[in-house]
Amino acid sequence: MTATLPETAHEQTDKPDRYARLIQPTRVHGSLYTDPEIFAEELERIWYRTWVYVGHVSEVPEPGDYVRKNIGPQDVVMTRDRDGEVHLLLNRCAHRGNLVCDAPSGNSNSFRCPYHGWTYRNNGDLLGYPYNKGYGGKGKLALGLGRVPRVASHQGFVFGSFAPGGPTLAEHLGAAAGELDRLARLSPEGEVELTAGWLKHRTRANWKLLAENETDGYHPQFVHGSIFSVTGSPIGALYSDNSTAVTRDLGGGHSENDLRPEFRHFAEPMRWFGTTEDRVPQYVARMRELHGPAAEEILIEGSPHVMIFPNLFIAEIQLFVIQPLSVGECVQHSTAVQFKGAPELNRRMVSQCVGSVGPAGMLLADDTEMYERNQRGVALREPEWLDIRRGVERERTDDNGFRIGTATDETGMRGFWSHYRSLMEADK
Amino acid sequence: MTAPATTHETSVDLRQVEQFLYREARYADEHDYDAWEALWTDDALYWVPAGAPEGDPVQQMSVISDNRSRIATRLKQLRTGKRYAQSPPSHLRRIVSNVEILDDEGGEPGDLTVGANFVLVESRERGNEMWAGRTTYRLRLVDGQLRLAYKKVVLVDHDRALPTLSFLI
Amino acid sequence: MNESEIVGSEFAEVAVGVDTTANGPRLRLEDRRTGRVRFLDALELETLVWLPDGHLGRLLDPSADRWREDAGH
Repeated sequence: MTATLPETAHEQTDKPDRYARLIQPTRVHGSLYTDPEIFAEELERIWYRTWVYVGHVSEVPEPGDYVRKNIGPQDVVMTRDRDGEVHLLLNRCAHRGNLVCDAPSGNSNSFRCPYHGWTYRNNGDLLGYPYNKGYGGKGKLALGLGRVPRVASHQGFVFGSFAPGGPTLAEHLGAAAGELDRLARLSPEGEVELTAGWLKHRTRANWKLLAENETDGYHPQFVHGSIFSVTGSPIGALYSDNSTAVTRDLGGGHSENDLRPEFRHFAEPMRWFGTTEDRVPQYVARMRELHGPAAEEILIEGSPHVMIFPNLFIAEIQLFVIQPLSVGECVQHSTAVQFKGAPELNRRMVSQCVGSVGPAGMLLADDTEMYERNQRGVALREPEWLDIRRGVERERTDDNGFRIGTATDETGMRGFWSHYRSLMEADK
Repeated sequence: MTAPATTHETSVDLRQVEQFLYREARYADEHDYDAWEALWTDDALYWVPAGAPEGDPVQQMSVISDNRSRIATRLKQLRTGKRYAQSPPSHLRRIVSNVEILDDEGGEPGDLTVGANFVLVESRERGNEMWAGRTTYRLRLVDGQLRLAYKKVVLVDHDRALPTLSFLI
Repeated sequence: MNESEIVGSEFAEVAVGVDTTANGPRLRLEDRRTGRVRFLDALELETLVWLPDGHLGRLLDPSADRWREDAGH
């Protein structure tokens, strides 16, 4: 080891400048992906503190509905109570810690633990327990299911934060909120629905490899060249040196591949979805009826390609949730975006999405192969660092003050790491 | 069954059915994409459900839901050699067993519905995976040859997180 | 919503059906005279099955809930 390299992989966690040395402006250290201590610290400082995407209100449409969800390795139940309020509860009985809910989803206004029959309202309150004389009668225990203390939503996307205080969801989302708005405005009724069910893809890689890849416009021509070549897909060209698309650091660790410059250039409605308006005539007619001349911009610019820190990725019609399980393992949950009031489009989105994502997806299986190869690669001893400098010299600031690079630049990754570092160093 | 299936009339017996299933399994195990593709009829459906196995593949996400044209695309991608999830290809061997001819009237008139169980070991550099499940086939006699019109594979792990499934299951 | 049936008498008339529009099945009860609807999930139904007659009798007291001076609705 040369004198200029830090003794990173083997140092103590209490060294105050640890993350400053592991995360540098144009390179990050391999141990960030492989060190179980760092993963444990990420859980405390990121996953159990910042706002994390959990589920969508359309998954619990009726009072009494519930669905099992996650925040990292934590087993969370998303519920809707009789008043319509959405809660995020931890699936753990206050008595002996048993799991309370077993089914992936259902309708029940109360939950009864199978172990000793303790029963809770779907807002987490303890309703009662059997043979209550053993506790001095009923209503004697100030206990309940664990709760995610802060729950908030934007466009029906429900986020939870285990921190009782801190930035609001609006502050956390910042400019990324506008991307969710851009998605929702594609629905004739202004609402996204996640009702097509989920694929769960087990991935033997660190979660950050996925988060970084989501807006990496440098990889598609290589990793996805096989499918682009056999389908004649125009997607590859969006991520080439000639593309006018930009990669934008939205702040807060969020980033996007803004493909609108390309779509505006072609000015063809529905090109963003890889189709033409005559294939979805009812949808296009409904949007024009609704928005008048403004419909053209909506139909041309299409859907965002945005990574919302730390775990929500929307790629036009596909939606992914990253769930870390351990330093070297995570699950990718994926589904097709559905727009309320657009059945014609929804069927096509399911079909296209099924072909692309999940364990057998013609795109995502190859991404996942790269994640898993990458995880094995970063465990090797040399050269220790991962390079994230691509485009740093040509990066500039756009009219709204965001850093942007070309379609293939690593601007998004640099934004991710800058925010990651600020969270990992907080309160030190 | 109200009317005898034409496949029955031409007296396809269980032995022939089994031989067909074993051949299909061998083509898949050995990545013989051309031979495997030639087994399919034009109205093919190759379906691996996720979540609820009785879901609707048009409205619900599936692991695989390929019509004939998408089967062709999937195989073309594999043949490029740049389908990284299968490059290099997995080493595969599967056992197909418990083969039964089922009384089912799905598909075209005369289609023969067959059920079977399978266990499959996949070996890759990332490690070995064991896959298992129940397959429902619809077979059709076309010009005296058995062909595959429908293959539905319900994995025992269908409701769990699955590793990459990039080979032909 | 599956087909509903009417359970009626000279005193009350309630449409009963199993609703399947939520994440799980639930019983849909509609008071035909007022249009008021209540859904009951499986655990609530099991609880009703086990309700002692005396407890149910107390609920039938007109002033127990519905016709009270301080009732909200």
